[in-house]
Amino acid sequence: MECVVQGIIETQHVEALEVLLQGLSGVPKERVRVHELCLKSGPNLGVVPSEVRLLCDLAQPTPSWTIRHVGGAMRGAGAEQISVLVRTIVESKASKNVLHYFYTLGYKLDHELLKIGFAFRFHRGAQITVTVTSTNKMPRLHATDEAVPVTPGIQLVEITAPAAADNYNDVVSAVSAFCEYLAPLLHLSKPEHSTGIVATAGAAAASLMSSGGGKTL
Amino acid sequence: MTPVKWLMHWHPSPGATVNSQILSEACGCAESLGGSKDGRWKTSIFFYRAMTRDGAGGPAGQQHPDLPRELLGVALHERPGLYFSIVRAQRLVLQADAAFPQVMEKLQSYRIRVALNFEGFQYQLGDFCLRIGKCVPNNSEALRGIMMEVEYYPLSSIEKSKAVMEDFFDIWQETVAKKSLPGQFIHVDSSFSDYGLSDQYSFQHTAVQYATCLQQLMAAVTVRG
Repeated sequence: MECVVQGIIETQHVEALEVLLQGLSGVPKERVRVHELCLKSGPNLGVVPSEVRLLCDLAQPTPSWTIRHVGGAMRGAGAEQISVLVRTIVESKASKNVLHYFYTLGYKLDHELLKIGFAFRFHRGAQITVTVTSTNKMPRLHATDEAVPVTPGIQLVEITAPAAADNYNDVVSAVSAFCEYLAPLLHLSKPEHSTGIVATAGAAAASLMSSGGGKTL
Repeated sequence: MTPVKWLMHWHPSPGATVNSQILSEACGCAESLGGSKDGRWKTSIFFYRAMTRDGAGGPAGQQHPDLPRELLGVALHERPGLYFSIVRAQRLVLQADAAFPQVMEKLQSYRIRVALNFEGFQYQLGDFCLRIGKCVPNNSEALRGIMMEVEYYPLSSIEKSKAVMEDFFDIWQETVAKKSLPGQFIHVDSSFSDYGLSDQYSFQHTAVQYATCLQQLMAAVTVRG
């Protein structure tokens, strides 16, 4: 399982967000360059249609592949009341022939994206990962070197934290608490409930850049 | 560096069957060569079948022509954190980690129909390790075959280890022949290059050998009278 929230931020404020995250996390940022391929089952395969994502980490000297299945979100009255999405997730590392493998099994490429940016991974009540990326599309199949931003002036911020059935409430609290620190710069919510950019972002960003990295705003 | 390994399977003589006495005699041969028993081992193979909307995993005749008729999953005893999946018709071996079966379970596009275990005792014999085992369906004792692994610790080059492995196999054959059993062990010869595998031995090589071994076992076993 994982807990996840998302938000968007204008590209001009990403540097300020980086300063804030650096101060809050105390860890160095990691480069993110992930080629994400979304595969869907062919017309006759499976009793129900299925979808799987293949992630190729291009930030490492040798690209590494991960298979990722995103499951359904937790539902019910309890789920409605929390501001963080809790969903099942299964991931497996895989050898570099994984795309060919799923094609052989009858899966087809639905779309592919290149996510470029940075991430901070740290522990603050839970193991939290904050990823800030621009989403890029490729003009030709797999042409990651020719990728262009889908929304040039906007980047996606995603906060995730692994959770289990017996601790997700604590993880939700930790993620929610962390989101409060970012509130002046961006609003984070469940992925299907995006709220747009925050009006105070400009002032908050200016304050962060002039204070030289202090974490208070 | 993964030590090189040969798999061998028991090929019964025409009209003969595979039985547990052959397994006992093979273990006795390992001990007579000076092997010291030092534990048990188990490798599992899973047969997946495609689920289709117009046949929902029915008999093979209803399989969609574009989907693989046979998809194997292999969980090796020496690497419980890894999982391998093989499409033999395409000579494709995927290495994944132990969470991979959960992905397949979530996708529901392929389901496990049969699970087979290869299990038995292992023997240390100088630079060699012998694992002699039976092939049985999961949750059953019905003997489907007998096979063994011969692992040679000092080398991981398939080519460079060929001579020493052949010499060992000759000694093994002679030792087993003295028991006058109805059959013999045969080396499982896999075309590693067809799978894109190099001369440097790896767990992917072992997974491919198990897939080939299974195919040969199924062809060799005769129905018990």
